[in-house]
Amino acid sequence: MDRANIRKAIKDPHKWGEKYSLWVTYFCTGCGIMEIPPTITARWDAERFGVKPMATPRQANLFLITGYVSIKTLKAIIISYEQMPNPKYTVAFGSCPIDGGLYYTSYNTINHLDRYLPVDGWIAGCMPRPEAIFIAVTKLWKMIEGGMVDGYKRYEENIDYYRRNQERVLGREFIESSPAPMTEEP
Amino acid sequence: MREEAIKQDIENRFSASSVTVPRRQRIIISLPKDSLFSFIAFMKEEGFLHLSSIICVDWIEEDEFELVYHLTSFEEGIHAMVKTRISRTEGTYQSMIPLFEHAQTYEREIHEMFGVDFIGNQRLTPLLLTDWKEIPPMRKDFNTREYSERMFEHE
Repeated sequence: MDRANIRKAIKDPHKWGEKYSLWVTYFCTGCGIMEIPPTITARWDAERFGVKPMATPRQANLFLITGYVSIKTLKAIIISYEQMPNPKYTVAFGSCPIDGGLYYTSYNTINHLDRYLPVDGWIAGCMPRPEAIFIAVTKLWKMIEGGMVDGYKRYEENIDYYRRNQERVLGREFIESSPAPMTEEP
Repeated sequence: MREEAIKQDIENRFSASSVTVPRRQRIIISLPKDSLFSFIAFMKEEGFLHLSSIICVDWIEEDEFELVYHLTSFEEGIHAMVKTRISRTEGTYQSMIPLFEHAQTYEREIHEMFGVDFIGNQRLTPLLLTDWKEIPPMRKDFNTREYSERMFEHE
């Protein structure tokens, strides 16, 4: 840590800890996961930024949606997302979660991820390079510092909107079986 | 050349078939649907022991489905494509499970994506799609753009 930052860290250790321990849910959504192995291993070494993959969603706070999201995957993403403790951040990775991308006309791939989950940041590109992940992480730091990452709060506030859209794609049965999202702060 | 010998053999036995050899190690055979089962049994005896895949093509203007059976001979190194046409409105065909047991999965997928019924296949249950309520999605008359916009482009 830079010596100049010590005072800031002491002032708000909670935020400081949040910033430098972004643990990623190890969830392979689509083809974008191909960029994760070089990112977390020696070539780019994401742990310099405090980013590392975590075995379970209950121990993670960053969700990278890597690539296109099919309907079956969306179901798993929602289940994993709701298990993650607050505060949690979602970053959509690649052009497919933004607007469908290459799979716009596909019958089983959703087009806009932010209708089903709150998304805090987008990384454009097909595929984004590992450098783009680090740019996103440093931007996320600034946003956490300014208190601008409020995806999990938006999810709780607008749960009816998200549940309505989820129901449209995933069916009534899924919505009824999933519990209400966690509301308490850690 | 081994391919030409196989071609001669097929033409002698199955007079209704048309055989072409586009290049080395490839044979394309098309024949009517009635004789396909006995033909594949014959090919299996000839050494084409592996059914690599079954493909369905929708020829909507001719009102026909084309089924392509890919057979491979490991000994000769030859890849044979056996084609047949079935009626699209009827959409039923004989299952290949008596000859190749693993045809079950291919037929399941074709049943799901094109709606072809394979008589003799006991397990034509959903395989890949979740809660599908429309017509099978790989048919040419299924409008994927319209479906995608209706399902995912809403407010």
